[in-house]
Amino acid sequence: MNRRIATALTGGTALLTALTACGESGSSSAGGGESTPAGGGDTIAAELVLGGPPEFQTRPDGVPGLEEVYGVSFGEFRSLDAGGPLTINALANGQIDAADVFTTDPNIAANDWVVLEDPENLFAAQNVVPLISTEEATDGVGAVLNAVSAELTTEDLISLNEQVIIDRQDPAAVAGQWLAEQGLDATGTQAAGADLTIGSANFPENITLANIYAQALQAQGATVQTQLNIGSREVYMPGLQDGSIDLIPEYTGVLLEYFDEEATAVSSEDVYAALPEALPENLTVLEQSEAEDKDAIVVTRETAEEYGLTSIADLAEQP
Amino acid sequence: MNDVLLWLNDPQNWTGTRVTPGIVEQASAHLAYTAIALSIAGVIAFPLGLVLGHTGRASWLVSVANGLRALPTVGLLILLYVMVSPLISGRGDAVYLVPTEIALVLLALPAILANTYAGVRNVSPDARDAARGMGMTGRQVLFRVELPNALPLVFSGLRSAALQVIATATIAAYVGLGGLGRYVYDGLASRDFGQMAGGAVLVAALALLVDLALSLLQRATVSRGVSGRFSRRSTRDSRSAAVTVVRPEPPRGGPDGGPRPGQATTPAAALTPSGEHPSG
Amino acid sequence: MSSAAGSAPWDLFGYFADHRAEVLDLLWAHTWLSVLPVVIGLLVALPIGWLARRYRWAYPPVVSVSGLLYTIPSLALFVVMPTLLGTQILDPLNVVAALTLYTVALLVRVVADGLAAVPEDAVQAATAMGFTRLQRLRTVELPLAVPVIAAGLRVAMVANVSLVAIAATIGIPQLGQLFITGFQLSVTGPYYPPIVLGIVLSVALALLLDRSIVLGARLITPWQRVSAAR
Repeated sequence: MNRRIATALTGGTALLTALTACGESGSSSAGGGESTPAGGGDTIAAELVLGGPPEFQTRPDGVPGLEEVYGVSFGEFRSLDAGGPLTINALANGQIDAADVFTTDPNIAANDWVVLEDPENLFAAQNVVPLISTEEATDGVGAVLNAVSAELTTEDLISLNEQVIIDRQDPAAVAGQWLAEQGLDATGTQAAGADLTIGSANFPENITLANIYAQALQAQGATVQTQLNIGSREVYMPGLQDGSIDLIPEYTGVLLEYFDEEATAVSSEDVYAALPEALPENLTVLEQSEAEDKDAIVVTRETAEEYGLTSIADLAEQP
Repeated sequence: MNDVLLWLNDPQNWTGTRVTPGIVEQASAHLAYTAIALSIAGVIAFPLGLVLGHTGRASWLVSVANGLRALPTVGLLILLYVMVSPLISGRGDAVYLVPTEIALVLLALPAILANTYAGVRNVSPDARDAARGMGMTGRQVLFRVELPNALPLVFSGLRSAALQVIATATIAAYVGLGGLGRYVYDGLASRDFGQMAGGAVLVAALALLVDLALSLLQRATVSRGVSGRFSRRSTRDSRSAAVTVVRPEPPRGGPDGGPRPGQATTPAAALTPSGEHPSG
Repeated sequence: MSSAAGSAPWDLFGYFADHRAEVLDLLWAHTWLSVLPVVIGLLVALPIGWLARRYRWAYPPVVSVSGLLYTIPSLALFVVMPTLLGTQILDPLNVVAALTLYTVALLVRVVADGLAAVPEDAVQAATAMGFTRLQRLRTVELPLAVPVIAAGLRVAMVANVSLVAIAATIGIPQLGQLFITGFQLSVTGPYYPPIVLGIVLSVALALLLDRSIVLGARLITPWQRVSAAR
């Protein structure tokens, strides 16, 4: 009897030790940790870890684009989130050295980070644009949203984000305040009769923008439901196409790339001009705003100074 | 379905690329997260369950552990990440690993504790009395009678904990860790259905493999007298007859009335039929 | 309007006060997303469990198939559902269907085991009294199996409340949304209130639903109370 127990305990311990041992060797490298970057030559980038949203690994303007356009291959890529808390915290705490972050992120200024220039226009223009189901794109709704787009600037986006992300104010309140400041809060009947469900992606800027659209339309007599904080584009885009939602704030560049992977347009005008053709018939873009929130490769001030970085191209040089 | 097969069939996905780890590496990482969580939970819950079951004291601890099952693992994971992230700096997985392991340990604890406890409590009082009558000390009763008889339930607790932990380790990828969950989240983010579903298939396969391994271990260690896995001829073996005491009875009371003497009377027993809990 | 509450864990009350309507909506959504699958799951599991009990050969495959279902990560199941059901991707039905699958997987085995645990004497007595098979099942076997089935229901219920939260990562609104909100606002330091509020409400909901199953089971099995000292 005793021997059985002894067998059980040794057996169990042996299994667990074996698993743990094999695990430790796995865990140190699987997430990407301490493994020394291999390959990629002895460029600056090869010594650095890049973090960004998971799809950045395969996106044409992500890891493959960096390699192709700038000859930059990072030592390692770490899948995090789209400029969200994981990416920001990882860059702030040194888990990664460079990050794909959005240019309107208030954390860039707050942490004194350096946005690397993109002389080859790897990242396409990303102007804010309302994406709406064609069925709901009536003249009234269009007029209300175009008036919003006409007033929205990149500086506005940064300041809206600062209020929501840094000061943790309620996005609906921040949206209302902005509309009032722009004189867009007057009530009317421009959009009367419209009945829309407005969605948003799961990051604060998009939520604030969706609130702005919702309140502007409501003020003009539309019936509005909101379904905010829907996951990423891969989740909400099917939702737009199957009619679960009717309207969402989008960005021209990613939108074009989503529907046309071969798209080459990079400037604001070209991207916007290419959109109607690329979109399926049941989706329409209204007028784009001047406000832009594009991807950027961002490094900390220390990293920039250590390696003398000002542009993405510098990453391909030798340290 | 085709996408899944294509994805699983691509050798590059197994070996990985220069910047991204392959399936083999992610699967061993997944296994490692699981092993670490189960070891820690086992080291805490197994002895505790034995002692509580043997003494019959502080059974409220088992209820408290069972209350842990109500904790939403995603919420816990996010809470722990948010707490830990300002404290850990520098390259490496630590900032993602620590919250994940704590969440997984809390997930595995109740099943192991409740089953060990119930396993010991469920030992027939006759067997216990007989052991005492033979002059065994309390310690001898625990290790020679109660533990061998409790082993089947202990194993079922360990196995259900392992299943839960493997399925739940998937959401570790949501806070930036590796493991097979990476494919589920990365596939979702890059609209690669094959990758996403392929990741799910791999998690399920890993869970089945580990369950199989644990069931073999169980077969090797549980006395045939307890498991009833013996040939008809050997039923007359007095040794095995004396310890066949794990009764196939409902977890609480039984249809004929209240708790029987010597039977677990806490919710621990009520939660034992299967504590599985797929997450992730 | 803007939340004046701080970012410490105990500021969850202030957060709740600021977002009362929204949080209550999420709580309600969470409740029905957790309860509905248990109800449907029980209705589906009863006949399957009975079959697995009646035809012994069916038991092993039923147990292994349900075990297999449990190994599929729920997130993946949520996302695959639209392809299987033809539903819209944001349809809460996907979550209900996925959780129903898990519940059925868990309960089929419990129902079969519960029926198996009914004392042979009781079954024989009923047969001797001239009960038909259906009568016997309805009036003797099922009621006697209630304690075991209720124990399984409790496990399924508590598991579901926790699993529903995962659906927030793919945009189905419920209490899990609070975790995501708190997560997103934790870039300049931890922002606890929504996260802690979400956990507290989720645990409270799980315990409440768990207690209601215990009470419900006790109500329909009055004979248990006679000697049950719990």
